[in-house]
Amino acid sequence: MPTRQRATQPDGATQPDGATQPAHAARTSQAARASQAATAKAQRQRPPEQYRSDDDPRIMLDREVGADLFEPIPPYPVRTEREAEFYTRGDGEMFLNVGPHHPATHGVLRLVLKLSGEQVVDVDPVLGYLHRGVEKICENSDYYHVIDQVDPLEYVSSLFQEWAAVLAFEQLMDVEVPPRAEYIRVLTSELLRVSSHTLFMGFLALDLGGLAPILYSFIERDEIVEMLAALTGARMLFNYFRIGGVNGDLNHEFLSRLGDWMSRAAKQTEANTGLLNENEIFVRRARGVGILDREMALRFGVTGGNLRASGVPFDVRRAHPYSVYPQLDFNVPTRLEGDSLARYLIRMDEVRESIRIIDQCLHNMPDGPVMAKLPRLLRPRPGRAWGAVEGPRGMLGVYAISDGSDQPFRFRIHDPSFLNLAVVPYLLPGNLLADTMAIVSSLDPVLGGIDK
Amino acid sequence: MTFATRTWDRMSLTSRLVAILVPLALILAVGSVVGILVILPATMDFLRANLPLVRFAVAVVGILVLTIPTAFVLIYLELKIIARMNLRVGPNRIGPWGAAMSLIHGFKVLSKEDFTPTGADLPVFTLAPVVTFLASVMTLLVIPFAPGLFGQDLNIGLLYFFAMGGLSVLGLLMAGWASFNKYSLLGGLRAAAQIVSYEIPLTLSVVGVVILAGTMSMNRLVLAQSGSALDWFAFKQPLAVLIFFIAATAEANRTPFDMTEADSEIVAGFATEYSGMRFGFFFFAEYVNVFIVSALLATLFFGGWTAPFNWPWPYNLNWLDASGIGVLWIPIAIIATVVVADVVAVAVRLVGGRSWSAPSAFGLGFLAAGVGIAAVVGLACFIAFDWVQGIFWFMTKTYVFVFTFVWMRGTLPRVRVDQLMGFAWKWLLPASLLNLFVTATAVVLLNQ
Repeated sequence: MPTRQRATQPDGATQPDGATQPAHAARTSQAARASQAATAKAQRQRPPEQYRSDDDPRIMLDREVGADLFEPIPPYPVRTEREAEFYTRGDGEMFLNVGPHHPATHGVLRLVLKLSGEQVVDVDPVLGYLHRGVEKICENSDYYHVIDQVDPLEYVSSLFQEWAAVLAFEQLMDVEVPPRAEYIRVLTSELLRVSSHTLFMGFLALDLGGLAPILYSFIERDEIVEMLAALTGARMLFNYFRIGGVNGDLNHEFLSRLGDWMSRAAKQTEANTGLLNENEIFVRRARGVGILDREMALRFGVTGGNLRASGVPFDVRRAHPYSVYPQLDFNVPTRLEGDSLARYLIRMDEVRESIRIIDQCLHNMPDGPVMAKLPRLLRPRPGRAWGAVEGPRGMLGVYAISDGSDQPFRFRIHDPSFLNLAVVPYLLPGNLLADTMAIVSSLDPVLGGIDK
Repeated sequence: MTFATRTWDRMSLTSRLVAILVPLALILAVGSVVGILVILPATMDFLRANLPLVRFAVAVVGILVLTIPTAFVLIYLELKIIARMNLRVGPNRIGPWGAAMSLIHGFKVLSKEDFTPTGADLPVFTLAPVVTFLASVMTLLVIPFAPGLFGQDLNIGLLYFFAMGGLSVLGLLMAGWASFNKYSLLGGLRAAAQIVSYEIPLTLSVVGVVILAGTMSMNRLVLAQSGSALDWFAFKQPLAVLIFFIAATAEANRTPFDMTEADSEIVAGFATEYSGMRFGFFFFAEYVNVFIVSALLATLFFGGWTAPFNWPWPYNLNWLDASGIGVLWIPIAIIATVVVADVVAVAVRLVGGRSWSAPSAFGLGFLAAGVGIAAVVGLACFIAFDWVQGIFWFMTKTYVFVFTFVWMRGTLPRVRVDQLMGFAWKWLLPASLLNLFVTATAVVLLNQ
């Protein structure tokens, strides 16, 4: 803490143990050096920092200073015009630092809110607490190993990142995926979409103060995740898709668990959504809050349920079909309101559509291999490819450039959560502090994907 | 000193014991003789001379002691009930069905670091939990638990209750201000706004009852509803019950009105910077508040300790003692225990065979005998004493409402601040005024 440092070492020359003197001590004045020599012995005998007693005058100094107790906001000189504008407080305004550790931020999102009373005036999202450099790591691993590197991006629905990466690589290498593998991919991914959306419902309710739905949605998620664990061997980071197919055919345990779940999935979904849809308090808190209009959504590149809730029926599965989606019968639920409630209802509708898709996959699944024949070492021709899938949070794309080596030259991940989160500074101002959670939560960001 | 220690070192264990115990016994004997002869009569005279004061002191101590098990029971109930509602098991490790969980919670809270943030306003920060806790405990003083079982029968009992209940907001505001934390400050200000707003419909909704009963004494309010369930004020004042219930939920900071500690918005509100037993006091105060609000709901609108139907009891069980056996009940109970234990043990051995060892069969027998005799004695007490019945009915009604509060917490999301305030001023206040108007008009018209 700067203040304490200053108080302990008046001229910044002597270390607490007084043994060494830095070079710049020579530049201090004669008087300062004299007083320094006089206090040198006292400083040597002074107990170390952690043993300071309560009546130590330096602590009193800290208390009196008060304002200097905390780091200034921001802790660095402002860098841009926007920052200068944001960090200038108006009359009766205060800053509130929400996150990175806050019970309602999803992951490590940090929002610096400028509040006037309880009303949000402005917001400055601070990202990057979970940055791991996944893109660079992917560029340094060979094509096979990219798949398990992209897994932990959006840890709630990892199969979709695998799919996007695999889709881009398959285009680079002109690999024909066996139809059974495509069906298995659709099946497992839609299961995970149900899990992700159900979890979204629980967390939205939790952020609005409801305790029960999160546990009901975790029950659903746990069943799906256990099911996929029976298939892939992992509960969260599946590492299941392969370039040219999937890692292993459907097994008996997966299918029996899936059958169990499917027999009551639709009913259970209705029961779970009924917890919230019919709750007056929930509906009143979500309706008309954080309205994202069509133009704004399109300008910001918002995708997924958030865009469809604003009236744009854009779904990658329908707009740029991939895999076997053209052969499947499903709707693209769209709503016009663009508020938190619409974003929630869209996702619940998507759960119903996903259950329909899973049902069709189970009925139409062809026999055959689940893996294309591929060489051990993949060296695609130089070129570039874009693979995009419709993740639970929107269009999840991977742009891969090959230079002919066994590692991608460039591996760019387009994460939907990042663009969805970008509208937060435009949705929050004017709302109450309590609604920040309803809005941010309804956009369903996952910070693992945003910070990459 | 050296002489004494050397002598002590040379003494054997027996002589050491004698050296300790004999003087101790002498002191005790002399002390008790003096005490019995001199101090006890004087004390008794003093107590007899100041009986109301003694009653007050006993009541205060009793209530202070009572709050702790009440809070423990409520915390355990909440953990368990919400767990069942969430399809969880809840606490099940400590004690039977996890019943000692809240006891362990208490020890945990006691043993945690008592943290004071830098920059906190220390006296205010320290006093805030005390104010909150005492404000809620002091309201218990006027609640009639059973006929004759109450702290004080104030003729302005209801007024006292609301005055003391209103004090708790002071503690929350103090906590919010003194913590030197913006979340705490927001929580404290929310508490101030919310509790002050809901105080008005809460108080106004009760005025109808006061008009009907013509008294503010809690005991007389209960007596005014004695008879059967049809005499309860809940049926004469249905709107008031609803208003009171909603406003009391807000007053006790319970879901869906727990704005002051909304965990997803302002972390823990006023309690953000509190830890250890200081937080424990807030925690206790919250649950004691739930109990008090439920108790008041039962007292004001649901007949308090009176039975919900015409009740022929209490019977006079003096005939049990009339034959003069009196003290003989004790050997009879002992013999009955042994006999029942033997019978049960033999029966278990005959039916269960080798799977029951003799000690475990006798253990089961003694357990059954104990439970049976306790049940018989309890039933006798229930029939014979009106205060036992009073406690039974009072607690039953109170815990029904406690369950409702817990149920709401397990089910409902939280309302927003502006919705909360709007609801109080736009709906509850007019409704309570309407209720008051209708009640007053009806009383005036019907009494003419």
